[in-house]
Amino acid sequence: MHIGDGLIPLEQTIIYWLIALVFIAKSLEWARKDLDEMKIPMLAALGAGIFAIQAMNIPIPWGTSGHMMGAALAAIILGSPFAGVLLLTLVLVVQGVVFADGGITAMGANIVNMGVVGGFVGFYSYNALKNSIGMTGASFAAGWLSIFIASLVCAVQMYFAGIFPLWEGLLLMGLYHAVIGVVGEGLITAIALNRIMAVRPDVVSEKSIPGVGVAA
Amino acid sequence: MKNKNIIIAGAVIAIIISVMAPFLASSNPDGLDMNLINLVGGGNEEHAEEFIGERAPIEYEAPMPDYSIEGMGKLGEVVAIVAGTLLMLGISLGLAKVLGKKQGT
Repeated sequence: MHIGDGLIPLEQTIIYWLIALVFIAKSLEWARKDLDEMKIPMLAALGAGIFAIQAMNIPIPWGTSGHMMGAALAAIILGSPFAGVLLLTLVLVVQGVVFADGGITAMGANIVNMGVVGGFVGFYSYNALKNSIGMTGASFAAGWLSIFIASLVCAVQMYFAGIFPLWEGLLLMGLYHAVIGVVGEGLITAIALNRIMAVRPDVVSEKSIPGVGVAA
Repeated sequence: MKNKNIIIAGAVIAIIISVMAPFLASSNPDGLDMNLINLVGGGNEEHAEEFIGERAPIEYEAPMPDYSIEGMGKLGEVVAIVAGTLLMLGISLGLAKVLGKKQGT
């Protein structure tokens, strides 16, 4: 759901950039406080992995397709929604500047959708569910919800931009991404977390292990 | 330092995905583009592109648009995506090292 240049009016793109910059500043603060010898290599591995998986569009019905965002997975593994914000910001900069995937003026709006909404919805829904349904179920739900909600926010942005009618935009964006989210975000998030827990459980933030509170 | 293994494992998985992506990834328009084609272009992809092109506030030419290198076909796509993956690995590792805690060895 990378928004290209030319869709959102310039003055609106500035508002999204300002919102994005507030969260980017917070994410840099998080990185300074939280990145230790374990999380530094994990952030790099996630950065490369998220970029690669975003190139893998999965086909869905109606002749369309979609790919993972990865913000939920990053937030769960590194134990902060700001991990999703920081990594998706870097990914969107590289995609926009080098590959013309997502606009330059629209980058702020894309960071708000995929980084901020993706990271925060993913992190908090995972933490709300991890103790009741376990890590695998919670990570699936968090992944699915993160892309579904982000797509609705994108539809609202397109409505404010005068591009989509509100209800039709919400309905179609929600429908497409509800389907994309099952395999494209939910399943991949759950499998990745499950495999990492099997091989190196020590690299997963203790905040994301069931039984530990978010504030711990 | 065994944590180097995390970077190596991540890089290997990411490069495998990058090499496979041009062959496996769906070339169908994504959810947003599909909506643009239907709601803005009246079902026609070119109409949608024209509409967007006329409104674009800046002209920016990315070096490898659409994850491809002109005239290099699938190989170009593999090279482009692998290059992007390695660039992301370098940028995120560099940033994390600059910002992260300096711990005594």
